[in-house]
Amino acid sequence: MRKNQAGMIKISPHTGPALANATLQANLKNTVGKVLHVHQLAVSEVANWQELRCHAEQVKAHTLARLHFYLQELEKQIKGQGGKVVWADNAQDALDFVVELAHQREIRRLVKSKSMLSEEIGLNEALERERIETVETDLGEFIVQLAGEPPFHITAPALHKSRREIAQLFSQKLGMEPSEDVQQITATARTLLREHFLAARLGITGANFAVAETGTIVVVENEGNARLCLSVPETHVVLVGIEKVIPRMADLAVFLKLLTRSATGQRITSYVNLINAGRREREADGPHEFYVVLVDNGRSRLLVDPVMRQTLHCIRCGACLNVCPVYQKIGGHAYQSAYPGPIGAILTPQLTSIESAPEHPFASSLCGACAEVCPVRIPIPHILLRLRAQAQRAKNGKAARVPAEKWAFQLWAWSMSSPTRYSRMEALLRFLQKLFGRDQGLRLPFPPFSQWLRRRELPALAPQSFRQIYRNRKVML
Amino acid sequence: MSRSAILERVRRCGTGTSVPELPQKLPEFPCYQDAAAQFQSALQAAGGTFLDARSAGTLGSALERVLQETGVHEIYWDGHHVFEKHAISYTLRDPQAFSQSRLLHSFHYRGSLQFPLLLNSRPYQLQHLAKISLAVSSAEYGVAETGTVVHEVRPGSGRLLTALPAAHVVLLNDSDLLMNHADLFPVLSPGSTGSMTTLITGPSRTADVEKTLVMGVHGPQRFYVILMKSDQAEKRHTPP
Repeated sequence: MRKNQAGMIKISPHTGPALANATLQANLKNTVGKVLHVHQLAVSEVANWQELRCHAEQVKAHTLARLHFYLQELEKQIKGQGGKVVWADNAQDALDFVVELAHQREIRRLVKSKSMLSEEIGLNEALERERIETVETDLGEFIVQLAGEPPFHITAPALHKSRREIAQLFSQKLGMEPSEDVQQITATARTLLREHFLAARLGITGANFAVAETGTIVVVENEGNARLCLSVPETHVVLVGIEKVIPRMADLAVFLKLLTRSATGQRITSYVNLINAGRREREADGPHEFYVVLVDNGRSRLLVDPVMRQTLHCIRCGACLNVCPVYQKIGGHAYQSAYPGPIGAILTPQLTSIESAPEHPFASSLCGACAEVCPVRIPIPHILLRLRAQAQRAKNGKAARVPAEKWAFQLWAWSMSSPTRYSRMEALLRFLQKLFGRDQGLRLPFPPFSQWLRRRELPALAPQSFRQIYRNRKVML
Repeated sequence: MSRSAILERVRRCGTGTSVPELPQKLPEFPCYQDAAAQFQSALQAAGGTFLDARSAGTLGSALERVLQETGVHEIYWDGHHVFEKHAISYTLRDPQAFSQSRLLHSFHYRGSLQFPLLLNSRPYQLQHLAKISLAVSSAEYGVAETGTVVHEVRPGSGRLLTALPAAHVVLLNDSDLLMNHADLFPVLSPGSTGSMTTLITGPSRTADVEKTLVMGVHGPQRFYVILMKSDQAEKRHTPP
């Protein structure tokens, strides 16, 4: 989370792809368009998509309600197979553990595959302060690290960069022959990163799921970089958010199907790594030490409320980002958090506090596309509204913003709760519409409505209500 | 201590709310009349190559085709269980070959392949592993739905042999071919033998630059699955 001096995380559409930056807007439109297209194809292929979503939602709801049990079960299984389990209450605990481990082993450089949690806790920065170099090995992460930027998207970190920009970056920083050939860009990264892999002594990965019954860490990927991160080095550290645990191996069939199709439109990714331990006695390679770091960092606070708790269902597919009209315009960097887009708008204020991220719940048009696309059915708009109310309460001690707004909604509620009052109110508005005219829509040129309508439009009323038309009908049905 | 603090908080939050049941049954997953045909089309869609060696004596020509396409003369084998499972005959040139942690390899002059294979071995070391171009392993299972094969780390073999080379060939018995992932995960028990199990579908890939697909980032650029009949026997040859 990138806090400013006042300790606030502000939505800032002018960092990164500002609304006015034409190149970035074009890049975004191009890539997001492709993502949405393949997503559509992959989802429409599955006849019982809704059933899969409900299944996953039910599994997550059950797990979170009994999280203390499943976390202990996971710990027991991992320990039973020789792994070590480390519990981290907050970001600092997790950072301290990794830094100390690196110091103990005298490690100056480590390899890492994509981990949202490591972005959340600011792992790279913490290691840098201790003069330990982190090599990001996912191509997209490698690109943004080279550019000195945070990731732009949950599953596609360099989504906002064109091949031309990346080619320039590679020739400047890595001395690559100038070429916009994606094959060559990839080959350059492969060669360089291969050297880092072969020399690495510590590998850090995230986890997509942690299966309690078998003690299995699941790492989903396409490039094969996570596979190398957890195979070559003598020490493997997995960072896992406590909400990543699922009870049974069998449910992975459902979760994987939902995750890969939602994230990249693939039926499945190239690799799904299921890790149970470090190297075993008769195995030829693999890490000697295997650490699983279970990180809370604000998550357990979300468990209190069964509605807000659903935020923790998230499997980090990034589908809600792609469909979000706000994300499409302001881009990932504007959210100033590891988690951009609609999921970031609900996760960031809850993982920190509503006081420190009061703008996030408002970075949405409440169109509902995120909830519709979400593979685990998180009611994002609903949670956004709850957070908006919290933000207002935090600001001036009560939910409503100004008395006028409060009265307007009381009037609205009063008129909507009885048919007579409703038709009276309708007649009044129709009268006002006659009085002030109806270009563009209904005009109410007197305060407080005139102020409210300065940047909004109300639809015009039809000349006759349905009741009037029905009363005057000529034809009997 | 973090552990008790986290668990205590989590326990407190969980109380007082009703616990939704875990669903007892998985939703339906697709089934196919011809599992092998579905496997082939899904694998090809993922950028992999499917070779059918179900008729007797065709494994050699399938492997020869791979050698030709990759221009490689040397095959590295993912442990002796590959020969046993698929009844591949071999002669050990190196009496140490089957001892712990050796890399097994066979040389194929001009890309031609005959049985029994003549097996040599090298120490299992990173410097050798990094230079390997072609590895052959055996799948525990195949999944028709997505064209996926399941690789498990076995005693005597490791994680890197199938992760580093430019090309990876997987031998799959047709009796191990499952319909879908709902058939796979309930029978999978990772950790029961090897420390790591990997589901592999096609070559290593990325779309991180402008969503343009590129094969072969950190792992194999070419990926083959050779489907075999499980009872098929290239006559097994015991070492002299």
